[in-house]
Amino acid sequence: MKNMSLKTLFTIGLIAILTLFVLRSPIENLIKNTEKLDTHKYAIDFIDDSGHRIKMDKPATKIISLYSAHTENLFAIDAGKNILGIGRADAYPMEVFNLTRYDYRADPEKILAANPDLVLIRPFIERKTPDFVNSLRRSGINVVSLYPTKFSDFDDYILKLGMISGKEKYAQKKLNEFHEKIEEFKKFNSRFKDHPGVYFESSETGYTTVTSDSMPASAIKIAGGNFIANDAEPIEGSSIASYGIEKILQKANDIDIFISQRGVMGAGGNIHSITIRPGFKGIKAVKDNKVFEISQKIISSPTFRFLKGIHEVSRIIHPDYFDNLSNMISQNNTTNRDLAKLVVKYKHKVYFVPTSSYFRKEYNGHTYGKFDDLEFSDPDFDFIETAVSSGYMDTNKIDGIEYFYPEKEITKEEFAKSLYLISDLRKQTIHKEIKDSNDCKNLKIIQIIVDNNIMKLENGKFNPKDNISMKDAIQTLNKLKNTAKQ
Amino acid sequence: MKKGLIVTLIIVLVVSLFSGCSSSLATDNGKRAILVVSFGTSYNDSRALTIEATENRIKDEFPDYDIFRAFTSQIIIDKLKNRDNLDINNVLQAMEQLKKDKYSEVYIQPLHVINGEEYNDLLNQANNYKDSFNTLRIGKPLLSSTEDYQKAIDALKDKFSNLEKNEAVVFMGHGTPHIANAQYSELSYMLHDEGYSNVFVGTVEGYPTIDNVISRLNEKNIEKVTLMPFMLVAGDHANNDMAGDESDSWKTILKKDGFEVTTYIHGLGEVKGIQDLYVEHLRNLIDGLYEPEENK
Repeated sequence: MKNMSLKTLFTIGLIAILTLFVLRSPIENLIKNTEKLDTHKYAIDFIDDSGHRIKMDKPATKIISLYSAHTENLFAIDAGKNILGIGRADAYPMEVFNLTRYDYRADPEKILAANPDLVLIRPFIERKTPDFVNSLRRSGINVVSLYPTKFSDFDDYILKLGMISGKEKYAQKKLNEFHEKIEEFKKFNSRFKDHPGVYFESSETGYTTVTSDSMPASAIKIAGGNFIANDAEPIEGSSIASYGIEKILQKANDIDIFISQRGVMGAGGNIHSITIRPGFKGIKAVKDNKVFEISQKIISSPTFRFLKGIHEVSRIIHPDYFDNLSNMISQNNTTNRDLAKLVVKYKHKVYFVPTSSYFRKEYNGHTYGKFDDLEFSDPDFDFIETAVSSGYMDTNKIDGIEYFYPEKEITKEEFAKSLYLISDLRKQTIHKEIKDSNDCKNLKIIQIIVDNNIMKLENGKFNPKDNISMKDAIQTLNKLKNTAKQ
Repeated sequence: MKKGLIVTLIIVLVVSLFSGCSSSLATDNGKRAILVVSFGTSYNDSRALTIEATENRIKDEFPDYDIFRAFTSQIIIDKLKNRDNLDINNVLQAMEQLKKDKYSEVYIQPLHVINGEEYNDLLNQANNYKDSFNTLRIGKPLLSSTEDYQKAIDALKDKFSNLEKNEAVVFMGHGTPHIANAQYSELSYMLHDEGYSNVFVGTVEGYPTIDNVISRLNEKNIEKVTLMPFMLVAGDHANNDMAGDESDSWKTILKKDGFEVTTYIHGLGEVKGIQDLYVEHLRNLIDGLYEPEENK
């Protein structure tokens, strides 16, 4: 009797477990429907990009942002002070370096211990580490997943960030400014009649590009280019689109400009690797040396720095206008600031934008953003950082602190050195005598510059410590350009 | 009595099973494999021209063997998996696979340049599998004997045979804290003894540094320099640390000192003569011309 009872109990238990297993789906639906029946009015109530309904009575004040674009945008809409922590790859703005870092590939306990009232993710994180995200949700933390795959979704995305951080008005104001600038770009670029064909490489793996409604393709169109891969097939749920080597080579003659995004995992190839690919020498852009690298952070990432991306694509597409040095001619002496702009424009060098891995190394020379006398808001910040990071200009370090001295007038010797660094000038066999050679610290470089007739001697002297006017500097750069063509 | 019989039978069965397993691994079943081991690279385009090209040469030269790949850099393996969904074995995984597939003869050819830390790790890892195969032999890196240096120089000499007095070629080697770092100096010494006195070797992470090289260049009144990587692959070091438009790349450092600089961004693996040397090492290995490598 006792045995029978145990057997019955076991059978009942087994049936109960099986029933629960079979009915788990309807039970889950019931729970979901119960959620839908929730009649409480929430101040914040929307469906996020992973399909979850977000319900909050008030904006979050302790946010952990696990995607760098979210972090950057929160700072941009004045919600930076609400950020409690950030992800591993965040590197902008510089304030992020004072914040605690969290990793979605690690134990969620670290995040739970920080007690945030909101964790911001993107659908990629949910797909990659569902257990991590579910465990946050189960702990009662608001997890919001956002990512605009289309450029047209950008406003909605920013407004949602504004809503959950209590900065909706500021977000709208920033968006208004953003669109005003885009309209200016459109209006400005509409004056150009040529619309060169532009191919955009999103990843070198499988030669993928982007969809025609993505941020990079939009930047190309706003900048006046003809986005070549309009027929690319989108990879579901992303702005990445497959293209393949055959299709690229089929359009070899139509690709006037080849742009590769760099700086992230799975990005496009660098200029050298693109040019050594089998068959790529037949691409017009490769033949014409019109292969460019651009940071993913300013061209694909959904942030307000996208305006810089449009600016840079505009420079790539219309160099004769955007990098036209004659617009800068004046009788003033050339300053360090002027020189930075001159050399970056001369080289058509796209803005240098560091990633988080850049900051993991130590640099003997300059480190991005470390000039004590240069603000991020400086209108020429990107030109200066690009010129120095590319090694075209020297910097000054005193007691470990870096100075750029933007308004300091440069000497002829400093100018000559930068000329040499941006050029491929060859040493000549016949040398001109430089009477004041003892005054030249960089005599080898000055000799090459003088022997190539790039800069002239005055009564046999180079006068290395003299300043140089903008007019003379630009004339000299034009001479350098003509020499390079020969 | 009955129980005792069953226990005895089970013991006999288990013992015969185990003995069966071990004898099957050591049996010469004619299955032969070559494992080509390199550090690896995440530069897909350069990988095709260097590592894959060398592996393909080995495939062509040894058609009776199954050729496999392993990388020693777990960072590169993980990166390629995450980024490109590309599965590449590390050495242990590759050895386990070969064991599982019951290969009886296994030959490992490293594509390393010097006999440094990476090579030592390979020896340590592979030697643990000595008893898993009928034959297990581990080959030698590019520069392993005096003749190797001469052959490597021969393979590359068209790059520096016709230098003018004021011209130099500077090779960028990787460099290592391992004692094998001295191999770069040996290469330099031999280059000079072979008559290539305007060819210099520096390293990114060891001795000689680029500053040491610049001193030598100045001693010889060199004015024009061509930079070349002395690495299997033209990856991050070649593209950025050597030839990059960066404030501390070798190109920029040399130009700031007034040298005229050109760059040659091609890995050693692209050079047929270098591939030949790896193939020769492998052939010697298979022919039993090398003493077995002990853990170092």
